[in-house]
Amino acid sequence: MAAGAAALAVAVAGCGTSSSGSDSGSGDGKTLTVWLMDGSAPAALTDALHKEFQDAHPGVTVKYEVQKWGGIQEKLTTALTSNTPPDVIELGNTQTAKFAAEETLEDLSGDVSALGGDQWLAGLKDSLTWDGKSYGMPFYASNRTVIYRTDLFEAAGITAAPTTRDEWVAAIEKLKAANAADPDFQALYLPGQSWYALLSFIWDEGGDVAKQDGSAWTGALDTPQAKAGLDFYKKLVDVSGTKAPKDTDEATPQQMEVFGTGKVGMMIGLPWELAGAVKANPDLASKTAAFPIPSKTAGKTAPVFLGGSNLAIPAGSQNTDLAKDYLKLLSSKKYQDMLAEGGSVPGTSTDTAKLATNPVGKALAESAPNGKVTPTTPTWAAVEAGQNPLKDMLTAYLTGAKSLDQATGDANAALTKTLAG
Amino acid sequence: MNPAVNRAVNPAKSKKVAANAVALVVALFFAFPTYWMVATALKPRKDMLTSEYDLLPLSVTGTNFATAWTKPGFLQSLGNSLVVTLLAVLAAVVVGLLAAVPLARMRFRGRKGFVMLMLVAQMAPFEALLIPVFLMMRDLDLLDKLPSLVLIYFAVTLPFCAWTLRGFVNGIPLELEEAAQVDGCSRWEAFRRVTLPLLGPGMVATSVFAFVTAWNEFLYALSLINDQSRQTLPVWLSGFQSQFGTDWGGAMAASALFTLPVLVFFLIVQRKMVIGVTAGAVKG
Amino acid sequence: MTAVDTTDAAVPTRGSSQAPRRAAPGGARRRRGSALDRALPYLLLAPAVIAILWMIGFPVLSVLATSFRKLNLRELTRGQVVWTGLDNYTQVLSDPEFWAISARTVVFTVLVVGSSVLAGLLLALLMRQISPVVRIVLQVSMLLAWAMPLLAATTVYQWIFDQQYGILNKTLVRLGFDGFAGFSWFSTGASTLAVIGLLIVWQAVPFLAFSLYAGAIGIPRDQYEAAGMDGASPWQTFRAVTWPELRPLLMMVTFLSLLWDFKVFAQIWAIRKGGPDGGSTTLAVYQYLEGISQSHFGVAAAVSVLMVLLLALLTFQYLRRLVRSQEGAL
Repeated sequence: MAAGAAALAVAVAGCGTSSSGSDSGSGDGKTLTVWLMDGSAPAALTDALHKEFQDAHPGVTVKYEVQKWGGIQEKLTTALTSNTPPDVIELGNTQTAKFAAEETLEDLSGDVSALGGDQWLAGLKDSLTWDGKSYGMPFYASNRTVIYRTDLFEAAGITAAPTTRDEWVAAIEKLKAANAADPDFQALYLPGQSWYALLSFIWDEGGDVAKQDGSAWTGALDTPQAKAGLDFYKKLVDVSGTKAPKDTDEATPQQMEVFGTGKVGMMIGLPWELAGAVKANPDLASKTAAFPIPSKTAGKTAPVFLGGSNLAIPAGSQNTDLAKDYLKLLSSKKYQDMLAEGGSVPGTSTDTAKLATNPVGKALAESAPNGKVTPTTPTWAAVEAGQNPLKDMLTAYLTGAKSLDQATGDANAALTKTLAG
Repeated sequence: MNPAVNRAVNPAKSKKVAANAVALVVALFFAFPTYWMVATALKPRKDMLTSEYDLLPLSVTGTNFATAWTKPGFLQSLGNSLVVTLLAVLAAVVVGLLAAVPLARMRFRGRKGFVMLMLVAQMAPFEALLIPVFLMMRDLDLLDKLPSLVLIYFAVTLPFCAWTLRGFVNGIPLELEEAAQVDGCSRWEAFRRVTLPLLGPGMVATSVFAFVTAWNEFLYALSLINDQSRQTLPVWLSGFQSQFGTDWGGAMAASALFTLPVLVFFLIVQRKMVIGVTAGAVKG
Repeated sequence: MTAVDTTDAAVPTRGSSQAPRRAAPGGARRRRGSALDRALPYLLLAPAVIAILWMIGFPVLSVLATSFRKLNLRELTRGQVVWTGLDNYTQVLSDPEFWAISARTVVFTVLVVGSSVLAGLLLALLMRQISPVVRIVLQVSMLLAWAMPLLAATTVYQWIFDQQYGILNKTLVRLGFDGFAGFSWFSTGASTLAVIGLLIVWQAVPFLAFSLYAGAIGIPRDQYEAAGMDGASPWQTFRAVTWPELRPLLMMVTFLSLLWDFKVFAQIWAIRKGGPDGGSTTLAVYQYLEGISQSHFGVAAAVSVLMVLLLALLTFQYLRRLVRSQEGAL
């Protein structure tokens, strides 16, 4: 799932009904049900937003329900078939096309300009456009950077953050040498199935995961570029001697926990992952910074996967107009700035000044223009919700179970099959 | 010790010692994951991921339990889960017993068909029924209401309860009831005074099974209930998963809390069971 | 502690083996009396039958109907009904993967059921031989396994088997098996399924052991004493006394285990989503991939129907025998 979470302050204190009003309320007694994902919006943002919205719409109650990540597919599927689906939902950007193509979402083409359409983040805008129509509003995006320990870099004699792959590898080796005494130390924590990082490397080589031919998509993992990207991934794993398991992704165990142990020099992650690590180990706050994932070409940064979410109105919503008003309010500069402050690239504002105020946000903003997305086809959602061939490819190649050609060939066949629906 | 003497004197005893030793090893195997769950919950975050050998926690903290205990909604979810589970189990055992008695004791047309129904109903693919059941609850206007879960858990555990209880009723000699009837009891009284107490253990075994099933159910609880104040414990527990993974420490501590009510339920019904057996033994 | 630690649960076994004999005359004698008497069994059965037909029968029929429809998200949210005849079945049955997955599912189910029933039986017999204190220790530890929530169980297992930090690999290395340093338990479908199988067996055995122990303690002592006097070996005693007495119960729990383990989904999905390379995908996972992941609910329904058919095939012998035995009894 693409989406990132936006709360540096992860406290999900405002769960459940955030409003003071009751279901019946006064006035026309309408209830606007809003589903955002766990960790998406800082509580400060939603509290202010819902207060302002309810003040502007007397008699309307916002029923804010934070959705958990486990089982969200089932939850969304069933909710959309109910008589009273939620009025505003959050969809991962790689997931939106599927829901749009199945006509389960309200067509917002007529409201684009009212929702700040001229400032929509390009990557997210593409992800919610289907057949020339807009089926949502960009919410926020984020991308991965290399989060590193400034103190360890300094101690190892690394004076500047790496800007090319070669410098990156050199930095890894210096860190390793400087910390050779600690058996638990890892210069770079890189689990075997961190496939968003792999995307960066493949794109940096000029390749892609899939190519479009008319309306059909086929896998492109067997191209020389994709193979070169995979090879670089292996090189990183080998050089860094990372102790991360080769058969899981960054979620098992949570790489932020590993980083939080203080024995890791770098990790490729999202700002909220650093926030999680800091929560476990507050000392890290003053000792960390980030740099964009280096490119093989000097003077450039590697393309990054732009993960994020869109907000959409289910076609069955009973309160379409209110929901549109809600989106409109959220798209205003005030709330977009709050999103940026929370550490993500805002969806409907090109102003990322607030984001660049901390070192990680700065690196994020630096690489965001080079953001790319996975194929915008309705069938891509199944790649992530099901068995992701890219992960299998990584594990098979890194553990030596398959050769480069075999790993990429098998994964490509599986990907093509899933993309065909 | 002298092996010859030992063998001669005590073959049975050494066999028993061996059996006990094997049993303890097996017990370790079954308890280990639970131990590991609690041990992980007690570890401070910095010790969670270490290459050191930590079969025994290197250091211990209560932070994870505090996190779990104070995570919003714990007590409310616990209450919801208890209500839903107990109602469903009660209904399943009572209705199951009502069905078990004729299936075991009476002769009537279509009996075999009913037995088959109890069996075949257990073949139904529970997860695959999510969408039709959801639509059904929608049409009954039970979405987002706890009775929907009570109904579902009741229905899902019922065939098992009815069928198993039928086996238990079968096992109680009919002569006992008949003897009571000769003594002047009515048929109902004979059943209540003689058979029912003897069914105690069977009802315990059955209800523990139903309890564990309902207590752990996640998919329907997640899909049917939106309001956070009505969520059940498994859904609350899933809140320890984010898109960055599972918070090991918190989830393990929460799981330990989650498991406690099952043990308590078991211990309560266990005592009732012993009473039932004693009563049965006296009468029998 | 324990459901079954005293004479009590003797009950189910004796029931299974002897009740038909008893029920027959008893039932026959009852066959007289008023209209109420004749209606009584139906009245008693009514709540259960209504609940089952309504809450399970109806959704099952609905899945059956869905298997002949095209039902994607679009049709689902709009309540459209598009009949496509046998298309879904043709699609599933012509997918070579379906057959491979079916074969894998059957083999996996048989292995898991076989090992858990065998383990359950051995433990049930063992429980009779051990001292009461040890027995309670064993039973409590089994109950702990049974009661552990799924999220915890799958997390703990992944954690124990973790490539780098897992206690299992660390322990094996300590014991001198250096090859297990960084060994990946989840790099092939077979070893992934082995871990999942262990998890399922671990959670299934307690119920089986409790039930079978209940049966085993119900076997009258005098039968063993008789066998003992003949100078029979333990194996002969088992063959002559335990096995015949336990057989009906054993068949019943085997049948139940088949039903449960064949359909098991959550554990497999939680460990590796049926990976790597689909190597631990069973029919239940396949059904989920088609349904929830890809939103092809019609195809998923067809897979469900085929699953039930296959399950019926697997358990056919038992069902037939059960029907026969009842014919004999009543």
